[in-house]
Amino acid sequence: MSSITHTAVLRAEHVQLGYWAPEGFTLAVRDATFSVAPREKTIVIGPSGCGKSTLLKAVAGFIRPTAGRIQVAGREKLEPGPDRAVVFQEFDQLFPWRTVLDNVAYPLRINGWKRRDAVERAREFVELTSLGDAADRYPHQLSGGMKQRVAIARALALDPAMLLMDEPFGSLDMLTRARLQQELNGIIERTQTTLLLVTHSMDEALTVGDKVVVLAGSPSTVTEIVDVRDVGPPDSPRYAETRLHLRDLLAVTHEEGELDVVNH
Amino acid sequence: MSSITETPAALPARPRAVGWSRLPLWFRRVILLAALVGLWQLYVSWSEFGGNPLLFAAPADTVQAFWDGWRDGSLARATWETMRLLLIGVGIGALIAALFTLFASLSQIGEDILLLLTAILNPLPGVAVLPLALLWFGLSSKAIIFAIANATIWPIAINLTTGFKTVNPTIVAAGRTIGLKGVRLVTDVLAPAALPSAISGLKTAWAFGWRTVVAAELVFGVVGGEGGLGTYINNAKLYLFTPQMFAALLTIAVLGVAFELVFGVLERRTIVRWGMQRS
Repeated sequence: MSSITHTAVLRAEHVQLGYWAPEGFTLAVRDATFSVAPREKTIVIGPSGCGKSTLLKAVAGFIRPTAGRIQVAGREKLEPGPDRAVVFQEFDQLFPWRTVLDNVAYPLRINGWKRRDAVERAREFVELTSLGDAADRYPHQLSGGMKQRVAIARALALDPAMLLMDEPFGSLDMLTRARLQQELNGIIERTQTTLLLVTHSMDEALTVGDKVVVLAGSPSTVTEIVDVRDVGPPDSPRYAETRLHLRDLLAVTHEEGELDVVNH
Repeated sequence: MSSITETPAALPARPRAVGWSRLPLWFRRVILLAALVGLWQLYVSWSEFGGNPLLFAAPADTVQAFWDGWRDGSLARATWETMRLLLIGVGIGALIAALFTLFASLSQIGEDILLLLTAILNPLPGVAVLPLALLWFGLSSKAIIFAIANATIWPIAINLTTGFKTVNPTIVAAGRTIGLKGVRLVTDVLAPAALPSAISGLKTAWAFGWRTVVAAELVFGVVGGEGGLGTYINNAKLYLFTPQMFAALLTIAVLGVAFELVFGVLERRTIVRWGMQRS
């Protein structure tokens, strides 16, 4: 268990989240407390509908908690902004009327970069995400995996205090997904970015994360925070053991009948 | 799994277009056009009605009248006058439509008002309001411009509003996460995302405007100083200059094709190129 330290980039304290549905107000997250230290890769895992994406949206500033508080770099009144750039699950998060390079350069320009510097930095991040050959293509000419890479390049080029990812590889096939997880590790290694990633895949959590926040129940609570820094490769005993532990955590808290353990 | 670089011993025949569809598009069009002109000429040569030059013009006479009209400037002036009214009318219509869209995007009551007005006024044929317009604006080109503007506001406004409303929410969220808000979010994300609807609204408006302007000129003859194409046709009828009537119709057809091409180029350079619409 990692404790809340005052150097944390993100602090979530007793966060409660919900949304209005036609039937009335639905509570999605009952109580979430966790923190993210600088350069730490934190994964929020939970079954579908546990409110993990809602939690990420609250950190991004799209919605506000109904109780508790979220602090990013000491600030509380969060609006969406480039300091918490988001990579979404949907492929159509890119601007279709801009080329790959321009999709990365344009956000820099609106954040005060000079055109030439913006293009130069964009080129750097396009290379970093192995998109060099596709720099002048339009998004509709790219595969799903490439589109997600552009989204990652766009977000990282903004040098965010933390990178937020909402099931970024959820719509990709298994092989592409595994490759992008590896690539993401390499890229984060180089940019030293603090990461908050939401997923329902245990393997993604174990491959990418330093720390896994398990969100379960309905409405959900944080049931455990698991350190996964040293689990080793997927064939190591420690990996298997941790995976089993996560699996139990996710399955046990699913009291209402069906045991839909998510296995990816 | 076999590799795609491996070639099977016997290649299956590549699917191939046969006969007519094998010919290039422009060639197919030219042939059809020639056939049409041929039929036209046949009708002129063989039919009693078609052979009467006061009632029906032959292809050659039409081309001659078209050529003469453009050379002496009468057709050019008429075309320009019509285009001028059309551009002003569509311009005013588009401006008002943009204001309506803004109003409708900002408030529920704005949207309700727009939907109601569109439901009432959009089905009205453009020329139907012309008598009223003449009552209000007198026998001037203002009346025609009013009729054109009325015919173009509604298709543009309804398309724009739908376009803005159906912008994919993820792209708006992406815009906000990179730091866009307010007016900048509208101009840099919402507007380009709604471009396919905007273009489709403009195309409809342009077509409505064309019909309205020519019909209005026809119905009321000379309006304002110069006469437009409708007036030109009407005058030619008065003097039984049948080839001139045909030439004016030919001009309208050619302009219609020309604007199709312009819109086609616009679409290919923007929304088709960006994969927002299939070609």
